[in-house]
Amino acid sequence: MSFTNALQLLISGIAVGAIYTLTAKGLFIAHLATHRLNFGQGDFLMVGAYLSLGLLLAGVPAPLVLLAVLAAMAILGWGLERVAIRPLDRAGDQTGGYAWVLTTAGCALILQNVVELVWGKSAQYAPPIFSATRNNVVRIGEVGIFVEELAIILVAFLAVTAFYVFLFRTRWGKAIYAVAFNPEAAALLGVNVKGTVILVFVLASMLAGISGFLVGPLVSVQPHMGLVFTIKAFAVASIGGFSNPLGLLAGGLLFGIAEAYSNYFDSAFGDLYPLIAVLILLAFRPTGLFGTRAADVR
Amino acid sequence: MKRARSLALAAAIAAFCTSALAQETVKVGVVQGLSGPPAITDFGESYLQGLKLALKDHLAKSPKTKIELVVYDDEANPQRAVSVVQRLVQNDRVPVVVGTVSSGNVLAFAPILQRAGIPLVAGPSIATPITTQFIDQKPSYIFRCSMVEKFQIEAILDWGVKTFKKIGLVHSTTGYGSVTAKEVEAGLKARGRELVATEAAAPGVNDLTPQMIKMRDAGAELVLNFHESFELVYRPMARLDYRPVIAGNWGLSSLKVEQIVGREAIEGTVMGQALDLADPKAKAFDDRMRKEYGSDYRWPVLAALGYDTGQVVFAAVEKVGKSDPKAIRDALEAIDGIAAISATPAKPFSPTDHECLDKEHVFLGVWKGGQVVRLKY
Amino acid sequence: MSADTRLRLVGYAAAALLIVLLPSLAPNPFYVHLGQIYAYTAIAVIGLNILLGLSGQMSLGHGGFYAIGCYATAILATTLGWPIGLTALAGLLLTLLAGLAVGMVALRTRGLYLAMATLAFGFIVEILAQRWVGLTGGTMGLMAIPQIDFGNFAMGPTYFFWVAAGLLLLCQIGSDYLFGSATGRRLRAIKESEAFAQTVGLNVPAWRIGIFAASAVFAGLAGILFAHQSGFVSSDAFNIRLTIGLLIAAVIGGLGNSWGPLLGTAVLLGLTETIASLHQYGPMIYGSILLAVLLLVPEGLVGLFRRLAGKRRQDAAVETAPARPAYEIESAQPRDLVVEGLSKNYAGVSALTTVSLSIAPGQVHALIGPNGAGKSTFINVVAGLYRPSAGRILLGGEDVTALAAHQRARLGLVRTFQNLQLIGGVDVLANVMLGMRARDGIVTDVARWFTGRGHEAGEREEALAILELVGLGPYAHHLPKDLAYGHRKLVELARAIAQRPSVLLLDEPVAGLNPLEAQAIAGIVRRLKEAGITVLVVEHNMDFVMGIADTITVLDFGHAIAAGLPAAIQADPAVLRAYLGQETQAA
Repeated sequence: MSFTNALQLLISGIAVGAIYTLTAKGLFIAHLATHRLNFGQGDFLMVGAYLSLGLLLAGVPAPLVLLAVLAAMAILGWGLERVAIRPLDRAGDQTGGYAWVLTTAGCALILQNVVELVWGKSAQYAPPIFSATRNNVVRIGEVGIFVEELAIILVAFLAVTAFYVFLFRTRWGKAIYAVAFNPEAAALLGVNVKGTVILVFVLASMLAGISGFLVGPLVSVQPHMGLVFTIKAFAVASIGGFSNPLGLLAGGLLFGIAEAYSNYFDSAFGDLYPLIAVLILLAFRPTGLFGTRAADVR
Repeated sequence: MKRARSLALAAAIAAFCTSALAQETVKVGVVQGLSGPPAITDFGESYLQGLKLALKDHLAKSPKTKIELVVYDDEANPQRAVSVVQRLVQNDRVPVVVGTVSSGNVLAFAPILQRAGIPLVAGPSIATPITTQFIDQKPSYIFRCSMVEKFQIEAILDWGVKTFKKIGLVHSTTGYGSVTAKEVEAGLKARGRELVATEAAAPGVNDLTPQMIKMRDAGAELVLNFHESFELVYRPMARLDYRPVIAGNWGLSSLKVEQIVGREAIEGTVMGQALDLADPKAKAFDDRMRKEYGSDYRWPVLAALGYDTGQVVFAAVEKVGKSDPKAIRDALEAIDGIAAISATPAKPFSPTDHECLDKEHVFLGVWKGGQVVRLKY
Repeated sequence: MSADTRLRLVGYAAAALLIVLLPSLAPNPFYVHLGQIYAYTAIAVIGLNILLGLSGQMSLGHGGFYAIGCYATAILATTLGWPIGLTALAGLLLTLLAGLAVGMVALRTRGLYLAMATLAFGFIVEILAQRWVGLTGGTMGLMAIPQIDFGNFAMGPTYFFWVAAGLLLLCQIGSDYLFGSATGRRLRAIKESEAFAQTVGLNVPAWRIGIFAASAVFAGLAGILFAHQSGFVSSDAFNIRLTIGLLIAAVIGGLGNSWGPLLGTAVLLGLTETIASLHQYGPMIYGSILLAVLLLVPEGLVGLFRRLAGKRRQDAAVETAPARPAYEIESAQPRDLVVEGLSKNYAGVSALTTVSLSIAPGQVHALIGPNGAGKSTFINVVAGLYRPSAGRILLGGEDVTALAAHQRARLGLVRTFQNLQLIGGVDVLANVMLGMRARDGIVTDVARWFTGRGHEAGEREEALAILELVGLGPYAHHLPKDLAYGHRKLVELARAIAQRPSVLLLDEPVAGLNPLEAQAIAGIVRRLKEAGITVLVVEHNMDFVMGIADTITVLDFGHAIAAGLPAAIQADPAVLRAYLGQETQAA
């Protein structure tokens, strides 16, 4: 493989990895505070992508589109918490502790259906955001990068940094950790537990919105695109460790790059090798590369 | 939307009341891939749109036999497909079945229908062996109105080897893609040529940069595209500064593909075709479909084949006049005088030929100025 | 025979009758076809229910096992021409092996990581099925797989239904047995607390792998039946939707209830048939029903029926023992406990430094010390939950340092927990029975369970006697959560007694109890001592300790700072310093 090709693959791997990282970030923050997450995170991304392309094609300027998508996704995240997460506390242990997989997947199915009814079942054209034409490529030597890819890589890094600061430097971040550690104790310390749980789902949903806004022009936007993103994000979070915000970035980039190279060397089984690697990794490091193993604390 | 709902409702009601009307109304069973990714639903819905328009036209002629469609979704899953076919045959007692997208699904239920003696008009599935494996059985109940993979590939290869030196192939890893890859390889070999590069990609993949790098480095001037997400091969071209000619599956003629990749990018793309929009009859059909379905209409050739299937099946039912599978089979085989929109001939079938489209009916289409026209070479 | 057993047997008989008659009752053959799908799908869901509902593990990859069973039997039957019985056995064996392998990974991972590992497994199988075309035929599939028709083609569907439904009935009986027997109780214990399960002598890893593999075999059996039903197998049938469908059926029916899968599968199939013609709104209907069931009836449809029928768990005091002989506390065999130079470091911080002690058989030894002195660490190391950094533990002269917690428990080293470890899913009586070994062999146990005659009668009698001994007779059929805190402590003690300990480790047995309750516990400890049981007790309550201890060791900052008779300890200046807080000198 030539050096140029290696570099080209590396960059497209990083771009794909950045998308996965953003999606995984949403899983991470919800899991952090509630030990549950949105199994339809990828479908929320899909909704974000559809909202963006709908507004952009209607001629709304991109910054306004982003604001509108963020607002809509925040409401959707709040709704998800109300409909699919909070009622589970009442249900208790009867559903085996995994009911969130099915309630959030149920919401995702409904969203898919709504999008199908509004936009149809076909793949849609998503106009570029930062360019006037479809194929705005920046060239570094012989390596070509889409401006849209640069944007998503940049946003992924910014989001990771911002989250790091948010979690460890702000009062809200500390509240999330307090709720994660022990909700009853957090409530006694004056943390608004309910509010914090809503906050994390709103944040997770807004992250999906940003991802959807950014990835539209880079992927095939269609109502069933979400599952792939959810699963890849799940894999990324498992590699990085569900409890480590920086591990996610490493996991995301690693997975994206591994996919690109694996597709280059053996495209017929390009999607198989990364999965096998994840399975082997989990067999030997059961909480990912950067996760810490909590003992059975009783 | 409203119409879709009422149709769905009618189908549901039809499914549950099997008794009183059975005497005067003949039910035509339809199995299609109507949910799941666009790689399935675009085919299934387009074909069904044509079929429904054909029924509307048929009923407008006030025929003596009333016809009703019973439509089920097979979710592109062979297990479901077998189940809904059992339901059509045993519960709804339809005398004829049309469907479906996935060739694997057709292969799963065709033997059941053959054994039960109920005619099947397969479509829009395109795998070559669907009709061939039954044609020796006397009588064969398995027909097809769809593109046939072999004919499409033969046409593309005939043109490809004449026009290009280096040919590469990108196919999907689904069974459809792998079977096609084998047919392409065999076809080239018969013409004394070889692929310069063969690459595959999974169905859910979003980026074909690695595969297209291989194509570029192998110097492929023509890239054969047999991946169900037809738009994927175009995206990396700009970044790789590599613009080969694309040719492939008839799916490349979808209006949605043009919308996504853009008019300039798709200009010159070649695909197997069975509908010539330069033909005024086809053009008129195209305009009607646009009016009827608006932006839900996306695939002229699929809709046209669905329409023609409807014409053929409804004519056969009208001729028989009752719910008699054996007689409908015979009528299908004998039917003549069809004014088809697609390249389907006026007498599509014979005892030895159960394909609407034969080799001579399949030609090559090319995107030119936002329309697919007949490729001249 | 209890009412429950009678209901169960009537249920089996009715089911068998229905299976025999259904083909002739069905309005048309399509219903027989649906019956076939129902039968094998329900088998897979039963397997999932055992995994999720009983053992608390998760799998998002059960479609993979289904596929493996399906392909194994299909490929062997078509290429090698083996008879169906043989290919089916081979398929079961293969899914068992796959289940053991994935179970091994599942053993190490928990929660979301486990979900991901099984998800990855499912996808790997799907990819291989789709791409290894030479073996599986990919999406174009394998054709002409022999069908189960015993040579009579016309009757094929009926025969297949009888086979599949008969197997379903067997699987259901098996599942009922699992839920109603000691095995189910133990799986529940593992689900709720692995630490607890170990202390009652369960080899937790073996159980977890075993149940995972068993669950995989159920899915494999379903796949095998599917292969021989349609005669055509293609990889499109085994995507993630299959797994999710099975999961939905399990949850809708009601997890952790043996009858749940039967109901859940019926709902799943009903839904699938309904949306086949309403495809435009299919996902929405599916999603809404899923949400509605999970949120409105989280206990599943079985729970809903229970609620509607107003049938509640039969109340307490059903077995108000007519003249039961008082329980004689038995020690397995009196043994001494010797701990030599025990140290434990956590990441460089030493929690215990060369602590030694020795307790003669039938003696009560107390371990005291201020908070953070290392008492809990000590008891956990002795019980085997933590590995020591250095030192030896001898039980009756035998070195047990290298043994796992459950192995020590089987040798008679029994403990209670400071934070109560009771199994909330079963009643008090069953909690006590968890401490006992099974008396009947598996065949006798199954037979007694099936007929309802004398199933676990000996164990129940003994457990009731122990409960009466600790004064909890009337609460035998309550759930632990309905008991007062003091009573729950007594349940733990009763469970420990049921284990027939040689050496009993009591971790703060009277913390949080009032003096009266503490006295009751002290009384029981004395009786344990009289029975020859060696007791090590960790406790803060000095009145309690001084009242029962023969000897005492005092820990401070991980060091044993004093040891001896109670009176001597009370006068020891080092102990006073430690308790009165002159840390600098004490450390």
